[in-house]
Amino acid sequence: MANIARKQAVKPQGANVREQLRAADDSAVVTAFLGGEERAFSELVERYQTRLLNFIYRTIGDREKAEDLVQEVFIRVYRHLHRFDRSKKFSTWVYTIASNLAKNELRNRSRNPLVLFQAVQKNWQDDDRPLQFEDATSRPDDMYRKRHLRQIVEESVAKLPEHHRNVFILRELEGKSYEEIAEITDCNLGTVKSRLNRARNSFAEIVAPYMD
Amino acid sequence: MDCREFQENHLAFVDDTLPGVELVRMQMHITECESCSRQDATIRRSLMLFRNLPVIQPSAGFSERLEKKLLDARMADASVMHSGRARKLAVTVAVTSVAMLGYIAVSLRQVDYPKDITFPPVVATAPQSGSSITGPAPEMVVAVPAGLPIWTAALYAEQTAVHFASVDLTTTAR
Repeated sequence: MANIARKQAVKPQGANVREQLRAADDSAVVTAFLGGEERAFSELVERYQTRLLNFIYRTIGDREKAEDLVQEVFIRVYRHLHRFDRSKKFSTWVYTIASNLAKNELRNRSRNPLVLFQAVQKNWQDDDRPLQFEDATSRPDDMYRKRHLRQIVEESVAKLPEHHRNVFILRELEGKSYEEIAEITDCNLGTVKSRLNRARNSFAEIVAPYMD
Repeated sequence: MDCREFQENHLAFVDDTLPGVELVRMQMHITECESCSRQDATIRRSLMLFRNLPVIQPSAGFSERLEKKLLDARMADASVMHSGRARKLAVTVAVTSVAMLGYIAVSLRQVDYPKDITFPPVVATAPQSGSSITGPAPEMVVAVPAGLPIWTAALYAEQTAVHFASVDLTTTAR
Protein backbone atom coordinates (compact mmCIF):
# COMPACT_ATOMS: atom_id res chain seq x y z
CA MET A 1 0.00 0.00 0.00
CA ALA A 2 2.78 2.37 1.00
CA ASN A 3 4.72 1.36 -2.10
CA ILE A 4 1.77 2.21 -4.31
CA ALA A 5 1.44 5.59 -2.63
CA ARG A 6 5.15 6.18 -2.99
CA LYS A 7 5.12 5.34 -6.69
CA GLN A 8 2.21 7.69 -7.18
CA ALA A 9 3.97 10.43 -5.26
CA VAL A 10 7.32 10.16 -7.01
CA LYS A 11 6.05 11.32 -10.38
CA PRO A 12 2.73 13.00 -9.76
CA GLN A 13 1.20 14.53 -12.88
CA GLY A 14 -1.90 16.50 -13.67
CA ALA A 15 -4.09 18.82 -11.63
CA ASN A 16 -4.59 16.52 -8.68
CA VAL A 17 -0.95 16.54 -7.59
CA ARG A 18 -1.82 18.28 -4.36
CA GLU A 19 -4.56 15.77 -3.58
CA GLN A 20 -2.15 12.92 -4.22
CA LEU A 21 0.43 14.48 -1.96
CA ARG A 22 -2.16 15.15 0.70
CA ALA A 23 -3.23 11.51 0.65
CA ALA A 24 0.33 10.17 0.74
CA ASP A 25 2.19 9.39 3.95
CA ASP A 26 5.23 11.41 5.06
CA SER A 27 7.66 8.96 3.55
CA ALA A 28 6.01 9.20 0.13
CA VAL A 29 5.92 13.00 0.29
CA VAL A 30 9.62 13.08 1.17
CA THR A 31 10.36 10.74 -1.74
CA ALA A 32 8.35 12.99 -4.06
CA PHE A 33 10.29 16.04 -2.93
CA LEU A 34 13.61 14.30 -3.42
CA GLY A 35 12.38 13.24 -6.84
CA GLY A 36 12.07 16.91 -7.80
CA GLU A 37 8.46 17.68 -6.85
CA GLU A 38 8.81 21.07 -5.13
CA ARG A 39 5.14 21.12 -4.11
CA ALA A 40 5.84 18.19 -1.80
CA PHE A 41 7.75 20.52 0.47
CA SER A 42 4.71 22.78 0.84
CA GLU A 43 2.77 19.70 1.87
CA LEU A 44 5.32 18.94 4.59
CA VAL A 45 5.14 22.55 5.80
CA GLU A 46 1.36 22.35 5.84
CA ARG A 47 1.45 19.17 7.91
CA TYR A 48 3.96 20.25 10.50
CA GLN A 49 3.87 24.03 10.89
CA THR A 50 1.13 24.17 13.54
CA ARG A 51 2.37 21.15 15.47
CA LEU A 52 5.93 22.44 15.55
CA LEU A 53 4.80 25.94 16.47
CA ASN A 54 2.86 24.65 19.46
CA PHE A 55 5.67 22.35 20.52
CA ILE A 56 8.29 25.10 20.38
CA TYR A 57 6.02 27.74 21.87
CA ARG A 58 5.16 25.54 24.85
CA THR A 59 8.86 24.81 25.31
CA ILE A 60 10.25 28.35 25.11
CA GLY A 61 7.16 30.47 25.94
CA ASP A 62 7.77 33.14 23.30
CA ARG A 63 5.44 33.08 20.33
CA GLU A 64 7.41 35.30 17.93
CA LYS A 65 10.61 33.45 18.59
CA ALA A 66 8.74 30.17 18.23
CA GLU A 67 7.64 31.17 14.72
CA ASP A 68 11.21 32.08 13.81
CA LEU A 69 12.42 28.73 15.07
CA VAL A 70 9.74 26.82 13.15
CA GLN A 71 10.91 28.59 10.00
CA GLU A 72 14.46 27.63 10.84
CA VAL A 73 13.34 24.01 11.20
CA PHE A 74 11.86 24.05 7.71
CA ILE A 75 14.92 25.68 6.20
CA ARG A 76 17.08 22.96 7.74
CA VAL A 77 14.71 20.29 6.51
CA TYR A 78 14.82 21.80 3.01
CA ARG A 79 18.60 21.89 2.98
CA HIS A 80 19.30 18.53 4.52
CA LEU A 81 16.40 16.33 3.46
CA HIS A 82 18.69 14.44 1.07
CA ARG A 83 20.69 13.33 4.13
CA PHE A 84 17.64 12.10 6.04
CA ASP A 85 17.72 8.37 6.71
CA ARG A 86 14.47 7.27 5.12
CA SER A 87 14.38 4.06 7.10
CA LYS A 88 13.37 6.27 10.06
CA LYS A 89 10.26 8.33 10.73
CA PHE A 90 10.26 11.76 9.19
CA SER A 91 8.29 13.25 12.09
CA THR A 92 10.90 12.07 14.59
CA TRP A 93 13.62 13.74 12.56
CA VAL A 94 11.69 17.01 12.32
CA TYR A 95 10.94 17.04 16.04
CA THR A 96 14.58 16.32 16.81
CA ILE A 97 15.59 19.43 14.86
CA ALA A 98 12.88 21.47 16.58
CA SER A 99 13.80 20.16 20.01
CA ASN A 100 17.47 21.02 19.50
CA LEU A 101 16.66 24.52 18.31
CA ALA A 102 14.37 25.11 21.29
CA LYS A 103 17.04 23.80 23.63
CA ASN A 104 19.63 26.14 22.09
CA GLU A 105 17.24 29.05 22.45
CA LEU A 106 16.75 28.34 26.14
CA ARG A 107 20.48 27.96 26.62
CA ASN A 108 21.16 31.30 24.90
CA ARG A 109 18.49 32.93 27.01
CA SER A 110 19.94 31.65 30.24
CA ARG A 111 23.22 33.30 29.22
CA ASN A 112 21.41 36.59 28.59
CA PRO A 113 19.11 37.56 31.49
CA LEU A 114 17.72 40.55 29.57
CA VAL A 115 16.33 38.26 26.86
CA LEU A 116 14.86 36.00 29.52
CA PHE A 117 13.11 38.93 31.16
CA GLN A 118 11.72 40.22 27.86
CA ALA A 119 10.47 36.78 26.92
CA VAL A 120 8.74 36.29 30.25
CA GLN A 121 7.21 39.73 30.02
CA LYS A 122 5.95 38.97 26.52
CA ASN A 123 4.48 35.72 27.72
CA TRP A 124 2.64 37.49 30.55
CA GLN A 125 1.31 40.25 28.33
CA ASP A 126 0.31 37.99 25.50
CA ASP A 127 -3.47 38.16 25.77
CA ASP A 128 -4.38 38.36 22.12
CA ARG A 129 -4.53 34.63 21.49
CA PRO A 130 -7.84 32.91 20.82
CA LEU A 131 -9.46 31.71 24.02
CA GLN A 132 -10.56 28.21 23.24
CA PHE A 133 -11.26 27.61 26.89
CA GLU A 134 -14.13 30.06 26.51
CA ASP A 135 -17.39 29.93 24.70
CA ALA A 136 -19.93 32.65 23.95
CA THR A 137 -22.50 31.30 26.35
CA SER A 138 -20.19 31.44 29.38
CA ARG A 139 -20.84 33.98 32.12
CA PRO A 140 -18.18 36.73 32.50
CA ASP A 141 -16.91 35.40 35.82
CA ASP A 142 -16.68 31.92 34.30
CA MET A 143 -14.73 33.31 31.38
CA TYR A 144 -12.39 35.10 33.74
CA ARG A 145 -11.86 31.96 35.78
CA LYS A 146 -11.06 29.92 32.66
CA ARG A 147 -8.71 32.55 31.32
CA HIS A 148 -6.96 32.65 34.67
CA LEU A 149 -6.76 28.86 34.78
CA ARG A 150 -5.25 28.75 31.31
CA GLN A 151 -2.63 31.23 32.41
CA ILE A 152 -1.89 29.12 35.47
CA VAL A 153 -1.49 26.01 33.33
CA GLU A 154 0.89 27.78 30.96
CA GLU A 155 2.93 29.13 33.83
CA SER A 156 3.02 25.73 35.48
CA VAL A 157 4.49 24.14 32.35
CA ALA A 158 7.07 26.90 32.19
CA LYS A 159 8.05 26.12 35.80
CA LEU A 160 9.08 22.56 34.96
CA PRO A 161 12.80 21.94 34.49
CA GLU A 162 13.75 22.15 30.83
CA HIS A 163 14.47 18.44 30.29
CA HIS A 164 11.24 17.47 32.07
CA ARG A 165 9.22 20.03 30.14
CA ASN A 166 10.54 18.83 26.80
CA VAL A 167 9.54 15.23 27.47
CA PHE A 168 6.22 16.31 28.99
CA ILE A 169 5.22 18.40 25.94
CA LEU A 170 6.29 15.72 23.47
CA ARG A 171 4.16 13.17 25.27
CA GLU A 172 1.12 15.14 26.40
CA LEU A 173 0.79 17.65 23.60
CA GLU A 174 2.29 15.86 20.61
CA GLY A 175 1.31 12.35 21.64
CA LYS A 176 4.73 10.87 20.89
CA SER A 177 5.56 7.37 22.02
CA TYR A 178 8.24 6.79 24.67
CA GLU A 179 10.53 5.38 21.98
CA GLU A 180 10.11 8.40 19.75
CA ILE A 181 10.74 10.75 22.66
CA ALA A 182 13.88 8.81 23.50
CA GLU A 183 15.09 9.27 19.93
CA ILE A 184 14.15 12.95 19.76
CA THR A 185 15.75 13.86 23.08
CA ASP A 186 18.66 11.44 22.66
CA CYS A 187 17.95 9.73 25.98
CA ASN A 188 17.35 6.12 26.87
CA LEU A 189 13.87 4.77 27.44
CA GLY A 190 14.25 4.57 31.22
CA THR A 191 15.26 8.22 31.44
CA VAL A 192 12.28 9.25 29.34
CA LYS A 193 9.86 7.34 31.58
CA SER A 194 11.43 8.67 34.74
CA ARG A 195 11.39 12.29 33.49
CA LEU A 196 7.82 11.98 32.29
CA ASN A 197 6.66 10.54 35.60
CA ARG A 198 8.36 13.34 37.54
CA ALA A 199 7.07 16.00 35.16
CA ARG A 200 3.50 14.75 35.53
CA ASN A 201 3.72 14.70 39.32
CA SER A 202 5.35 18.17 39.49
CA PHE A 203 2.85 19.65 37.07
CA ALA A 204 -0.12 18.20 38.98
CA GLU A 205 1.35 19.50 42.22
CA ILE A 206 1.66 23.05 40.84
CA VAL A 207 -1.77 23.11 39.22
CA ALA A 208 -3.71 21.29 41.95
CA PRO A 209 -4.43 24.31 44.22
CA TYR A 210 -6.11 26.12 41.30
CA MET A 211 -8.27 23.23 40.13
CA ASP A 212 -10.78 23.14 42.96
CA MET B 1 -0.44 -3.91 45.79
CA ASP B 2 1.13 -1.25 47.96
CA CYS B 3 1.34 2.51 47.29
CA ARG B 4 4.98 2.30 46.18
CA GLU B 5 4.18 -0.23 43.46
CA PHE B 6 1.20 1.90 42.47
CA GLN B 7 3.48 4.94 42.03
CA GLU B 8 5.94 2.93 39.98
CA ASN B 9 3.26 1.71 37.60
CA HIS B 10 1.31 4.95 37.45
CA LEU B 11 2.94 6.21 34.24
CA ALA B 12 1.89 3.12 32.32
CA PHE B 13 -1.47 3.16 34.09
CA VAL B 14 -2.29 6.66 32.82
CA ASP B 15 -1.00 5.79 29.34
CA ASP B 16 -3.00 2.55 29.22
CA THR B 17 0.02 0.43 28.49
CA LEU B 18 -0.27 -1.93 31.45
CA PRO B 19 -1.05 -5.60 30.92
CA GLY B 20 -4.61 -6.57 31.87
CA VAL B 21 -3.77 -8.19 35.20
CA GLU B 22 -1.69 -5.21 36.35
CA LEU B 23 -4.42 -2.85 35.25
CA VAL B 24 -6.98 -4.61 37.39
CA ARG B 25 -4.63 -4.56 40.38
CA MET B 26 -4.09 -0.82 39.95
CA GLN B 27 -7.81 -0.21 39.75
CA MET B 28 -8.32 -2.31 42.87
CA HIS B 29 -5.71 -0.26 44.71
CA ILE B 30 -7.46 3.00 43.82
CA THR B 31 -10.68 1.77 45.34
CA GLU B 32 -8.82 0.84 48.51
CA CYS B 33 -6.35 3.73 48.94
CA GLU B 34 -7.77 7.22 49.17
CA SER B 35 -4.38 8.96 48.93
CA CYS B 36 -3.41 7.19 45.69
CA SER B 37 -6.89 7.69 44.32
CA ARG B 38 -6.64 11.44 44.95
CA GLN B 39 -3.22 11.64 43.36
CA ASP B 40 -4.38 9.70 40.32
CA ALA B 41 -7.36 12.04 39.89
CA THR B 42 -5.20 15.15 40.27
CA ILE B 43 -2.71 13.99 37.67
CA ARG B 44 -5.42 13.03 35.19
CA ARG B 45 -7.26 16.33 35.62
CA SER B 46 -4.10 18.41 35.29
CA LEU B 47 -3.12 16.53 32.14
CA MET B 48 -6.57 17.12 30.73
CA LEU B 49 -6.16 20.85 31.35
CA PHE B 50 -2.80 20.87 29.63
CA ARG B 51 -4.03 18.88 26.62
CA ASN B 52 -6.90 21.32 26.21
CA LEU B 53 -4.73 24.41 26.00
CA PRO B 54 -5.61 26.43 22.90
CA VAL B 55 -3.79 25.40 19.74
CA ILE B 56 -1.75 28.29 18.39
CA GLN B 57 -1.91 28.94 14.67
CA PRO B 58 0.93 30.46 12.65
CA SER B 59 0.55 34.20 12.08
CA ALA B 60 -0.78 35.61 8.80
CA GLY B 61 2.60 36.35 7.21
CA PHE B 62 4.18 33.05 8.22
CA SER B 63 4.04 31.38 4.80
CA GLU B 64 5.33 34.44 2.94
CA ARG B 65 8.23 34.85 5.33
CA LEU B 66 9.08 31.17 5.06
CA GLU B 67 8.89 31.32 1.26
CA LYS B 68 11.29 34.27 1.24
CA LYS B 69 13.69 32.53 3.60
CA LEU B 70 13.60 29.39 1.48
CA LEU B 71 14.34 31.45 -1.63
CA ASP B 72 17.31 33.04 0.14
CA ALA B 73 18.48 29.61 1.24
CA ARG B 74 18.22 28.30 -2.34
CA MET B 75 20.23 31.22 -3.67
CA ALA B 76 22.83 30.88 -0.95
CA ASP B 77 23.13 27.17 -1.67
CA ALA B 78 23.48 27.87 -5.39
CA SER B 79 26.28 30.39 -4.84
CA VAL B 80 27.99 28.06 -2.41
CA MET B 81 27.74 25.29 -4.99
CA HIS B 82 29.18 27.60 -7.67
CA SER B 83 32.11 28.69 -5.52
CA GLY B 84 32.44 25.11 -4.41
CA ARG B 85 32.88 24.00 -8.01
CA ALA B 86 35.54 26.66 -8.64
CA ARG B 87 37.29 25.62 -5.44
CA LYS B 88 37.04 21.99 -6.45
CA LEU B 89 38.63 22.77 -9.83
CA ALA B 90 41.46 24.70 -8.18
CA VAL B 91 42.03 21.89 -5.73
CA THR B 92 42.01 19.33 -8.55
CA VAL B 93 44.60 21.31 -10.50
CA ALA B 94 46.77 21.73 -7.41
CA VAL B 95 46.52 18.06 -6.49
CA THR B 96 47.31 16.98 -10.06
CA SER B 97 50.35 19.29 -10.16
CA VAL B 98 51.63 17.99 -6.86
CA ALA B 99 51.06 14.41 -8.01
CA MET B 100 52.95 15.03 -11.24
CA LEU B 101 55.85 16.67 -9.42
CA GLY B 102 55.91 13.79 -6.99
CA TYR B 103 55.90 11.29 -9.84
CA ILE B 104 58.79 13.08 -11.53
CA ALA B 105 60.73 13.20 -8.27
CA VAL B 106 60.16 9.52 -7.62
CA SER B 107 61.12 8.63 -11.22
CA LEU B 108 64.35 10.57 -10.92
CA ARG B 109 65.21 8.85 -7.68
CA GLN B 110 64.73 5.48 -9.25
CA VAL B 111 67.48 6.05 -11.92
CA ASP B 112 70.49 3.83 -10.95
CA TYR B 113 73.23 6.33 -10.33
CA PRO B 114 76.61 5.01 -9.04
CA LYS B 115 76.94 5.91 -5.43
CA ASP B 116 80.75 6.84 -5.67
CA ILE B 117 82.13 8.42 -8.76
CA THR B 118 85.24 6.52 -9.82
CA PHE B 119 87.72 8.23 -12.07
CA PRO B 120 90.20 6.38 -14.33
CA PRO B 121 93.64 5.96 -12.79
CA VAL B 122 96.04 8.80 -13.34
CA VAL B 123 98.83 7.82 -15.72
CA ALA B 124 101.78 10.22 -15.68
CA THR B 125 104.98 9.92 -17.69
CA ALA B 126 108.20 11.64 -16.84
CA PRO B 127 109.54 13.97 -19.56
CA GLN B 128 112.54 12.75 -21.49
CA SER B 129 115.71 14.24 -20.05
CA GLY B 130 117.43 14.85 -23.47
CA SER B 131 114.65 16.86 -24.96
CA SER B 132 114.28 19.32 -22.18
CA ILE B 133 113.24 22.74 -23.16
CA THR B 134 116.00 25.08 -22.40
CA GLY B 135 115.19 28.65 -21.94
CA PRO B 136 117.48 31.42 -22.98
CA ALA B 137 120.27 32.48 -20.79
CA PRO B 138 119.20 35.01 -18.20
CA GLU B 139 121.60 37.64 -19.43
CA MET B 140 120.07 37.34 -22.92
CA VAL B 141 116.59 37.81 -21.62
CA VAL B 142 117.66 40.89 -19.79
CA ALA B 143 119.32 42.17 -22.97
CA VAL B 144 116.09 42.25 -24.96
CA PRO B 145 114.73 45.78 -25.20
CA ALA B 146 111.75 46.59 -23.14
CA GLY B 147 108.32 46.84 -24.76
CA LEU B 148 108.01 43.22 -25.81
CA PRO B 149 106.30 40.57 -23.79
CA ILE B 150 108.86 38.63 -21.88
CA TRP B 151 108.20 35.20 -23.46
CA THR B 152 108.16 36.57 -27.01
CA ALA B 153 111.43 38.17 -26.21
CA ALA B 154 112.71 34.91 -24.89
CA LEU B 155 111.80 33.18 -28.16
CA TYR B 156 113.58 35.81 -30.18
CA ALA B 157 116.59 35.55 -27.98
CA GLU B 158 116.69 31.79 -28.43
CA GLN B 159 116.89 32.19 -32.20
CA THR B 160 119.78 34.69 -32.11
CA ALA B 161 123.37 33.56 -32.44
CA VAL B 162 125.02 32.81 -29.18
CA HIS B 163 127.52 35.41 -28.28
CA PHE B 164 129.62 35.09 -25.21
CA ALA B 165 130.97 38.22 -23.65
CA SER B 166 133.92 36.34 -22.30
CA VAL B 167 135.17 35.86 -25.88
CA ASP B 168 135.12 39.59 -26.41
CA LEU B 169 137.00 40.07 -23.22
CA THR B 170 139.70 37.63 -24.13
CA THR B 171 140.05 39.20 -27.61
CA THR B 172 140.48 42.64 -26.14
CA ALA B 173 143.03 41.36 -23.68
CA ARG B 174 145.17 40.06 -26.48
